[in-house]
Formats: sequence, structure tokens, C-alpha cells
Amino acid sequence: MFLTREEERILAGEKGVGSQRAMELLLAIGKIYDAERLVPVTSAHLSGVSYKTIGDGGLDFLMQMAEDARVSVRTTLNPAGMDRERWGEMGVSPEFARKQTAIIDTYAKMGVEANCTCTPYLTGNTPRQGETIAWAESSALSYVNSVLDARTNREGGPGALAAAIVGKTPMYGLHLEENRHATVVIEAEVQDEITDYSLLGHAVGLRLGGAVPYFKGIRPDVNGLKTLAAAMAAAGSVALFHVEGITPKASAQKLESLERVQIGREEIERAKDSLTTGRDPDLIALGCPHLSRMEMKMLASRLDGRRKRPDAPEVWFCTSRTVRTWCPKETAVLERFGKVLCDTCMIVAPIEPAHKCTATNSAKACTYLPGLCSQKVICDSYSALLEMIL
Amino acid sequence: MDVNTGKLSSTSGAEGRNITGAVFGFPHGRGSTVGSYTLLQMRKNSTLPIAIINERAETIVATGAIMAGLPMVDSIDLLLLRDGDRVKVDGSEGSVELPSVQESKVVTCVLMHQGKVLALKRSDKVSTNRGMWAGVSGYIEPGERPIDTAIKEIREEVSVESPRLLKDALVQSIRVEDRVWRVHPFLFEVDTDLVTLDWEHTEYRWIYPHQASELSAVPGFLRILRSLL
Repeated sequence: MFLTREEERILAGEKGVGSQRAMELLLAIGKIYDAERLVPVTSAHLSGVSYKTIGDGGLDFLMQMAEDARVSVRTTLNPAGMDRERWGEMGVSPEFARKQTAIIDTYAKMGVEANCTCTPYLTGNTPRQGETIAWAESSALSYVNSVLDARTNREGGPGALAAAIVGKTPMYGLHLEENRHATVVIEAEVQDEITDYSLLGHAVGLRLGGAVPYFKGIRPDVNGLKTLAAAMAAAGSVALFHVEGITPKASAQKLESLERVQIGREEIERAKDSLTTGRDPDLIALGCPHLSRMEMKMLASRLDGRRKRPDAPEVWFCTSRTVRTWCPKETAVLERFGKVLCDTCMIVAPIEPAHKCTATNSAKACTYLPGLCSQKVICDSYSALLEMIL
Repeated sequence: MDVNTGKLSSTSGAEGRNITGAVFGFPHGRGSTVGSYTLLQMRKNSTLPIAIINERAETIVATGAIMAGLPMVDSIDLLLLRDGDRVKVDGSEGSVELPSVQESKVVTCVLMHQGKVLALKRSDKVSTNRGMWAGVSGYIEPGERPIDTAIKEIREEVSVESPRLLKDALVQSIRVEDRVWRVHPFLFEVDTDLVTLDWEHTEYRWIYPHQASELSAVPGFLRILRSLL
């Protein structure tokens, strides 16, 4: 790889040990993918925040880096393993809380904005079209690549951190125009409803792995797009997709020679059945990805004035602290039915001691909950889930 | 993964298998971008595998391997590997060797005449795949060009001269028990359907390509046929 003199200096350790390690990691990744050089990034988003998922090994790594490394671009953070204020109500132990706080503080020491959400693009970290960025969090990077036409690879947490510190990322993969073209057409027939978009994403991700799908026949809004992105990135490794009539680069795609795949009611129902492994949930968890302002309003309007069933399971509404702050009235309504939790989610929080079966409308959550949280899961629509608590 | 024990979890399809100290092969990474930290945790817990083999490298796994100091090789056809194989992995070279698996270089020739292809039933005097159906085949001798082996075998096994080469396909690797067959496939056109068999075969049939699936074929033959037609 070609390095500028400045980059050579960082590699030699002149900017400190943390930057040196970051540069080594970037170059090692670049070497794997035959990148010619590094390119500057304008922002980063980091995964690897929950103490549950990165553990002491991750904390050690971060603390070593934070001794002298600082991020050089605007950098945001993924959800942690707990609500920073209400962790006691989540059944989180003081020891976990101590370690989790240490992780967040270590990131903050490096200059990272500890917003703790998987939807940073809704709460201020919104790249412009064509911007080169280095984002981890599979759902978020896919969303900004596809809906905003920003440019990022499917970074791992450490790779995004390294790019944030050096301010650059190796030029390969989705930073190259030729890798951003659609590779398969999905002719979808689904209901214009969040859960259907999530199940569609699940079916496509499982089947296509890391392809670049072009969707025909769907008109998802922001909430549909973010859950579609999340499901495809969890079941597969999709980092970029196009939606006819909606995403910026859709009209530029050449489709004639591409394979066509039909996904309709049958595949959606099959995906739902395959994801559902339990019954009688003891937790209903919404907000994977984090609830948007629109979703908070929608849920509040459906619950306002209704009464909670006495035997209803626990309910979590997971969102960003920013959205909660924007929605005080809606939060008050939802708090009568469950907890509006910030900074965290049902996947990366340690829910397994207290819960055995979780119901959700997110195919991404259903993909991870059995393995990460030992849960039986139920995948169903907002309507069906709300019926369980009314 | 259970990073404390090195055991695969339920979603792996191989729950309870311990990969600590083993060479771990899987097609490619998918899912969470936090996966890079998983390998780092395993290094801290001393539950790390000693190498990773993938069909396709994916950034998240690669990042984790780099951070954990784990050799990783991709572009490997996992169909050639079996559970329990002893392998030699070279992360710098990007290679995976199977020292206890024998490698045999062979040609397989499909002869075509007026739209039909020649299928031959192997006798019980041959060393492998007795009684099964295949094309004309033979071991490539050291220093011999595969095309020359092909023409020689066609003359010896079915007594046909001057076959016209229509196509040669990419070498296919097929694993059967403790042997990897490196097969060089060829498609020839011949002017006659008259065939005289030697000791290696007991029967022959001219069939339409789609009828090949009705035969008890040698492993990989159907795949090779498809690659040639």
C-alpha cells in the first residue's frame, strides 16, 4: 500500500502507541483486500460497547488504546449493555454496571460521543451523499450506504475505531464504485408493515449472504428501511441495497442481466415460522433498531387511553436517549405499559437471568436472541404484540 | 461462541463442539460487527483456535483474526476438508495443506457424437469406483500434459482415434475419503459411435446428457459433465 509521509510517521509511532496500533490494523486490513492506499473519513460509528459482548478482553484493549489515542473525526457509539440511569431496574448487577461504565468512559476519554444508539443517523450523525466514512454496526452502516449514499465498508468494531483515530480507512470494497452496483433483483410482495419488511430482510439475508439487492415492489418509509437493513445484515452480510423509487442510486442501476428472486407471502410466513421458537413470552421487547420519533408517537397513540392487562408480560421500548428526550409526552404514555429504556437493547443487555422467552417484531433480534441471550423467541407484528399487553 | 469455554453455541449447528486449539473452518462471516471482539476475548481466555480457514474473507472476522494474532486463510474450498483432518495452515502464504490426504491428478473425458455423450461402466479390475459409470479417465503421468493423457486414454480405453477437442474446463477438486482428486475435464467430439472396450470397462452407453443422473455415477462426474456442456 502507498503511504503518505504523515501516515508513515503515525506507523512509526510518532503520534503515540494507540495511533500506531490503529494504523497497523488499518494496513493489515488493507493488505487483505489489496487496497492501494488509505482515504480520509469524515465520521465513524463504533460497535463493541456492551460489557456482555466485549468482556474484559475488550475493555483491556480499549483502555490500552485510550492511554494516548484520540479520535480525529466525529465518532458515535452503539448501544451498551444497560440504561445508564436505570440499570438497577433492568436486573443488572453492580459489578456489570461498573465494568460497563468503565467501557463507556474509556470511549469518552478517546473523544467518542457516547450516544449509545444503533440509529445515529436519526440523532445527529447523518452523513451526506458521497461522504467517505467508517461505520460499524451492521444495520446502521447498511442504512447510510443505501439510503444516504454515503460510503463505508462493513467495518468490525475495532476497524472502525482504528479509522476514527487515524481519520482514514483503506480504500477497498464499498469505497470503490464498481462494488456498489446491484447484483440481484428482489421482486417483493409484502404488506407495507414493519414486521413484513423485517422478515423480508431476513429471507433475503439468509438466501443471498453478502449480495447487493435491488428491491422492486416495496415502498418502505424510514422505519421500514432501517429494519430491512438490520434484518439483512444480521441474517446475511448485506452492507448495501437499492430500493426502486426510493434510494438515491436505484435509478442508476443496470438490471437486465441480473438474477431475479421472488419473495412473497409464502416466504414471509416461512421466515416468521422459522424464527419463532417459543410461546408465552415473559418479555416483549420493541426497538431493534432503536425506535424512531415516529414509532414512539405511533405506539403512544395506540396505547393512550387503553388499560394494561394485569397479567401482561414486561415490556421494553428501546430507543436512543435523544429520541426519549424529544418525546416526553409519548414516553409518559409508554411508561404506563412498560419501560422506555435508553442506551441499550434486548440483544446486548444481559437479559437471560430474568427472561426465558422474548417476543419482538424484529427479525434481527430473533436471529441473535437464541444464541446471545439463550432466549426462545416469538416474531410477530406490532399489532399482535400490543394485543398481548392490552 | 461461548468465549469462556471455546464451545460453539446452538446457532452454529454444531452445539458443544470445542474449537480451542483446533483449526476452525467455516464458509464466511455474517451478522454482528462486534464479532471482531469475540476472537480477542477468546485470546484472553486462552480458548482461541489456532487458525481460521474461510471460503471467503469477511472484514469482521479478518479484523478479529488480526487483533488476536490468529493466522487466517481464505479462498479455500471447504468441501475438500473433513472434520478431524490434520491440516497445515500457512497464514503468510495463504495456503492449507492436507499432509495425510493423497492427491491424484487425473483426466476425465466426455466424448460426444450427434448430441449424445459416452458413458462407461467401470469393471471390477480397476482400483477405484468399481461398477460405477464415468467418462474416459486416467492418471496423468509425471511430466505428461493433460491433453496428451486424454488422447492416449481415449485410444486405449475405447479405441477411438482423432477426437476433436471442443472444450477443456477448469480443474475440479473432489474429496473422497482420504484422497483428493484433481480432475482435468475435457469434452471431445468423435466421428463414430463404434466403441471397443478394454479391461477397464464392461459396458458402454450413448446417452443424452440429462439421462446421466439416472446412472450410478462416479463422485463428481455429474458436476464435471455440467461444467463441460
